[in-house]
Amino acid sequence: MTSSRITQRTVAETTLRGLQGNLTRVQNLQQQLSSGRRVSQPSDDPSATVSSMTLRSRRAADEQYLRNMEAASGRLTVTDNALTQLSDRLRAFRDLIVQSRNGAVGAASQAGIAANMNAVRDEVLDLYNTTYLDRPIFGGTITGSATVDAAGTYLGNDQPVEARVSADALVRIDVPGTAAGADTVPGTLAQIAANVAAGGAGATDLAAVDAALSTVAQALGDVGARAARVSQTHDLVDAHRLDLTSRISVNEDVDLPEAMMNLSAQQVAYQSALQAAAKIQQVSLMDFLR
Amino acid sequence: MTGFSTFNTASTGMSAAQRALDATSQNIVNVNTPGYSRQRVLTQSIGMPVAASIHTSLNGSFIGGVSVVDVSRIHNAFLEASRAAAGARQAAITSQTDILTSAQQLLSEPGDTGLQSTLDSFYSSWHDLANKPGDTAAGSVVIQRALAVADQLHSLSNGVSAQWTTARSNLVDLVSRINQSASDLAKLNESIAAGQQSGKPVNELLDTRDQLVRQLASLAGASSAMDDLGRLSVNINGVTIVTGNEWQAVTLSGADDITAAVSDPPTLSVGAFTVPVQSGSAAGLLASLRTDLPSLSGSIDGVADRLVTAVNTVYSTGYAPNGSTANTFFSGTDARNITVVPTSGTALAIAAQPGTLDGSIARQVGDLAVDSVAQGVLGSPGPSVGWRELTTSLGVQVQSLKTAQSVQDAVVAAAEDAVQADAGVNLDEEMTNMMQYQRAYQASARVITTADELLDTLINRTGKVGL
Repeated sequence: MTSSRITQRTVAETTLRGLQGNLTRVQNLQQQLSSGRRVSQPSDDPSATVSSMTLRSRRAADEQYLRNMEAASGRLTVTDNALTQLSDRLRAFRDLIVQSRNGAVGAASQAGIAANMNAVRDEVLDLYNTTYLDRPIFGGTITGSATVDAAGTYLGNDQPVEARVSADALVRIDVPGTAAGADTVPGTLAQIAANVAAGGAGATDLAAVDAALSTVAQALGDVGARAARVSQTHDLVDAHRLDLTSRISVNEDVDLPEAMMNLSAQQVAYQSALQAAAKIQQVSLMDFLR
Repeated sequence: MTGFSTFNTASTGMSAAQRALDATSQNIVNVNTPGYSRQRVLTQSIGMPVAASIHTSLNGSFIGGVSVVDVSRIHNAFLEASRAAAGARQAAITSQTDILTSAQQLLSEPGDTGLQSTLDSFYSSWHDLANKPGDTAAGSVVIQRALAVADQLHSLSNGVSAQWTTARSNLVDLVSRINQSASDLAKLNESIAAGQQSGKPVNELLDTRDQLVRQLASLAGASSAMDDLGRLSVNINGVTIVTGNEWQAVTLSGADDITAAVSDPPTLSVGAFTVPVQSGSAAGLLASLRTDLPSLSGSIDGVADRLVTAVNTVYSTGYAPNGSTANTFFSGTDARNITVVPTSGTALAIAAQPGTLDGSIARQVGDLAVDSVAQGVLGSPGPSVGWRELTTSLGVQVQSLKTAQSVQDAVVAAAEDAVQADAGVNLDEEMTNMMQYQRAYQASARVITTADELLDTLINRTGKVGL
């Protein structure tokens, strides 16, 4: 604009360029405000774009971990319930043994106690065959739906079932049948019931049931610890996800008060440019020649 | 000097003023004509005899007055050339920016519709399947999400390819415009030379020719040089397309499909010579056709290839319900031919051991969502990293092109202002000139009246003193 000689066309074009620049800025701000987003194209801010993509990807992973943990804690809760009931049933069985060892019990009563024991054993078998989403919870990764068959044979394979609960943590969400006594307890119980039917339970029978109880209690403690770990991780991942969401927003979203301020300032600039253009172009030498 | 010669002198003044008014009116009416250069009448005084005597004037020889030497066109070839060069650079940046901006829109990043989010959903579906191995619905979701990823890769690849084709047809159109302008310019060279030889005014033709040169610069970065006869020869970086009244056609050769763009890049040539286009719209188009779009397409293929390799590497370790192993999940090697192999959600090979109902391989595929896991499987960065790199590098390129564009816009504006400052019409100036010429005409007319009165005194009043 330092040209020595200015023509009407120069003035017109300069004015037009200025107005065009103003209008472009107004349009950019308007677009940001109407979309609510500061970055709508990678070229708006390439580094914000790449952080945004990374953050979104991590948030999607976190959402998936949360879903995985819901499935995991569902399965752990079912396992916990099954083990609690199992322990309860084993204690009932132990009471029957104590009853059977009472010297005053006659042969007929021993037969009745043995029948009761067999009923409890059936309940124990059912508990070992507990399923979660149609999968036997003590069976590992077997294809069938039963962990223990009617004869008390263990069908499970002890293969681990794991869940991804965070980017670097896997939690085992099953209890292997052997750790819960599914391979031994049904046989032991059947043997004791047979012993009772044959005349009475011995001290070893009591010790065997106590051993089974302690196995179940150990499994129960293990499940509880893992459920606690899942719930802790759940809180951490959820907090991380919220943090990511707010960082995505900071990264992508327009700062509304600032954008509004900028828009008003830009509109004032545009209006004054329009007014200046109208004033300059109004007069010419011809207005003063008569 | 006598009364009679005064008539002649004054009449030359009147006709000179009239010629000047003609030029002024031409300037005023063309105030907004693009490429118009203002014109000025150059006058020269005709010498008066050293000593005026009655004899010299009575001989009837013409001895005084003004003559119009030339109607000159105010024009600075240097300013015009720098305006043309600035415009050529601007056209190159603009055409490249336009193509890459729309390529960037294909990516639809950042957002929930880009490939990144499709990939994330794809990986998520594997985790869901791992939570419920053997579940038909979860298996179908995996297949559907995989198809969505493949479809998005296909449409990205096709989109880039379609842009390449559009850019190439733009280049075909541009080449025909170059040839049209070159042929027009050759004809103008001939008319201008003929006009100048016969002394006819050629200013308007010169303006038209400058416009053509500017157009050729903006199309292909052409520059011009004038020969001794006032004819312009035009070359594109040393390859001549117009000399005198002859012109040579520019032709486009090379690939007409993006797949062959690298092995057989599109090229402009004149006869046997390759035209080294460095500015003008053609340069922007050629840069996109030869480098930008093929490399973008190659990067998208790279993302597809990494995805296929990573997923298959993990998936092949799994056992299907029928006991088969070493299966493939994706087939294909690039974004064009990637396909999903399994068709049923029940037959996925996601068990770590044969004959079990296990989801650990599905979990491992889902874990590929984490960049470090994908890196571990591939030994090189995974598909998501590749996709982010591609998006960033395109974003950075478009951003810097846009910056260059606004800088170049300012350069062109300054160059245009300089041309206008020199050759443009200023109405105030023309009005002032008009008054000046009008007064000159009036004054010359007044001289004739005065000379007439002198003669009247001489002829009618002489000897009548006292009557």
